[in-house]
Amino acid sequence: MIPSSALSETSNIASTAEADVSGRESAKADPARILAERVNQLFAQLPLAVCAILVLSAVTTFEMYQPRLQELVLFWWIVVAVVSAAHIGLFIAYRQSSNSELTPQAWHRRMGIAALAGGTTWGFAAAVFFPAHTEEQQVFLAFMLAGVMAGGVPIYAASWRVYALHAAGVVVPFTYVLAAFGKTSFTALAVLVPFFYAANVLVAYRVNHVFSEGYRLRHAYGHLTGDYTSLNQRLEEQIAELMDAHREVDASGRKLALFAERAPIAVFEMDRNATVLEMNPVAENIFGYPAIELTGRNLLRTLIPADDPTMGSDWWAEFIRKGEPVTGLRVQCLRRDGLEISCEFSLTPLVNDVGDLLSVIAQGRDVTQQLEAERLKKEFTSTLSHELRTPLTSIIGSLQLVNSGVLGDPGKDLTELTVIAERNAERLLDLINDLLDIEKIESGKIDLHPEVLSLDALVREAMKLNRAYAERFQVRYEMPPELPSATVNVDRKRLFQVVTNLLSNAAKFSPEGGVVNLTMEDRGDSVYVGISDRGPGIPENFRHRIFSRFAQADSATTRQKGGTGLGLSISRRLVELMGGKIGFADREGGGTTFWFEIPKHST
Amino acid sequence: MPDRPLVRICYVEDDEDIQKIVRMALERLGKMTLEVVTDPMLAIDAIVAFKPDLVMLDWMMPGMDGPTLFRKMKENPATRDLPVVFITAKASSVEMNELRALGAAGAISKPFSPRDLPEQLRSIWSALP
Repeated sequence: MIPSSALSETSNIASTAEADVSGRESAKADPARILAERVNQLFAQLPLAVCAILVLSAVTTFEMYQPRLQELVLFWWIVVAVVSAAHIGLFIAYRQSSNSELTPQAWHRRMGIAALAGGTTWGFAAAVFFPAHTEEQQVFLAFMLAGVMAGGVPIYAASWRVYALHAAGVVVPFTYVLAAFGKTSFTALAVLVPFFYAANVLVAYRVNHVFSEGYRLRHAYGHLTGDYTSLNQRLEEQIAELMDAHREVDASGRKLALFAERAPIAVFEMDRNATVLEMNPVAENIFGYPAIELTGRNLLRTLIPADDPTMGSDWWAEFIRKGEPVTGLRVQCLRRDGLEISCEFSLTPLVNDVGDLLSVIAQGRDVTQQLEAERLKKEFTSTLSHELRTPLTSIIGSLQLVNSGVLGDPGKDLTELTVIAERNAERLLDLINDLLDIEKIESGKIDLHPEVLSLDALVREAMKLNRAYAERFQVRYEMPPELPSATVNVDRKRLFQVVTNLLSNAAKFSPEGGVVNLTMEDRGDSVYVGISDRGPGIPENFRHRIFSRFAQADSATTRQKGGTGLGLSISRRLVELMGGKIGFADREGGGTTFWFEIPKHST
Repeated sequence: MPDRPLVRICYVEDDEDIQKIVRMALERLGKMTLEVVTDPMLAIDAIVAFKPDLVMLDWMMPGMDGPTLFRKMKENPATRDLPVVFITAKASSVEMNELRALGAAGAISKPFSPRDLPEQLRSIWSALP
């Protein structure tokens, strides 16, 4: 009557159930899970059904028992017992199976077969006992069959199809027997029994529908509760995150406010038209405007009335257009009291993530005193440089002329004193020059003016000009008649200074009558110049700091031979600035070789 | 290299001490003839009258500084071709390069050594085209 394939079709059961329900809740009800629950319900009823059947079949067996039908009745009861045992076996198998072994559809199908088998045992009873018994027994049997059929409704309520199979098993043979009996009243019953069957199946169908709906609602509610719980959890997490973010923003805001308030710099916040939105107390102090007065006014027009092109209105328009931070802007600003001060500003546009300008933060500092200090330092340096040199020119010049003997012999005692005077005047001059050089190098203000020149020519010239100096120490410079020709790109004056420094050092530290050798070598990409003396060598404990400032191995040497201890330090910086390197090595046979290497000029 | 030795030198310098030292150095040691001009405003006339082989200019002088005087000399046909050497305590290398570009023959920094001065001038002289 009902094809077994229909039992495997869970979707139409579910869709029937869904048809009455609208909205998203029905979408959430999982048909497979509903079927699983229904199958579970069917199996839960099974032991009860088996018990009922065993009791009913026992009573029936007792009622139907007749000595002539003894074997048939017993056989039927055994069949019922076997089917019931199969039912129990199925029940145990279902309970012990894990979810993954068989699908709910498969169990549903098995249940259908079991129900059909159960029903058929009663159909069989009808077929064999009905014709052979008394009328009284026939009435009893008819009641039994009706009871089994009707009792199946609550037992199989979870699936009307299973019920239909169970009832069909009872009804089909019974109807056949009734129709074939030949009694008019039985024939009428044979017509009525299928109606009774149909009515029962209809009831089962309705009950089943209510069951399905109940399960579906339970599922939907379960989903909804689950959704609600997870939603709630997510909401709580988000609130916690928001609170954290809020605390962080709050903390950094306080930090920022503290920075702005306590920093020794003026801080302004402006809108895109340079109108002051906020300013810190330092800004009030520096510019003399109370915040209440400057807020709402144009910062540039108020503080820089001269419309300085460094930070004027045109500049501002360009700055807003670019939207990039700017630092180190130096402008003359007018305080509220009319005093002009020099300020250095850094401007940072605050831009949101879509690129809209929110405001501009200006940080400014009064650099008037700093500039004044710089100016004084520069002035002091130039005074040292110019004003000290002029008198020294006269002092050294006069003493040199006296000591040269061109004016006649001043006598031994006098010469001794004028030589001391000259030597010390030169020391003073060296010190001034070296200090100026160091100051220039360290402040990064040394300007090198590289030119392409011949290094061998420069070295020759340096030898020539330093010869007189060496003669004072009775030292002789020597170099090979042929020097390798090399073109370098260097600052002539500064490299000359380096060569002179190395030559004069070598002369100073040579023994009387000693020789200083200059060598020059082509080293491929660079040129090497070495100047070797035959002096005492560099003491071990002095080697690591020989290129440091004010480095002299022995202060007695300073007194005897002059020098500031700055020469090698300056030379090293100069050589490095020209892309070269400088160093020293022990000379074979005593003495030291100071050398430098300068990269060749590449054309 | 000029075909005659360096003999006549005109020196414009306001500091009288340095004038004396340079005079002794160049006349006694260098065996040169020196004309010293104290007032830079009168320098052009003195130079024209003296007809030196080479002119030495101080950098910082009251009234007119060395570079200005040098430019004036360049404007005057009578002094335009004279080699000029600056004696200066000031010259930065930038300014020296500018003056070299204008045609200065050389520079001697103060303080100079009077003993070496004649030799320094002669080497500048011999390096002239």
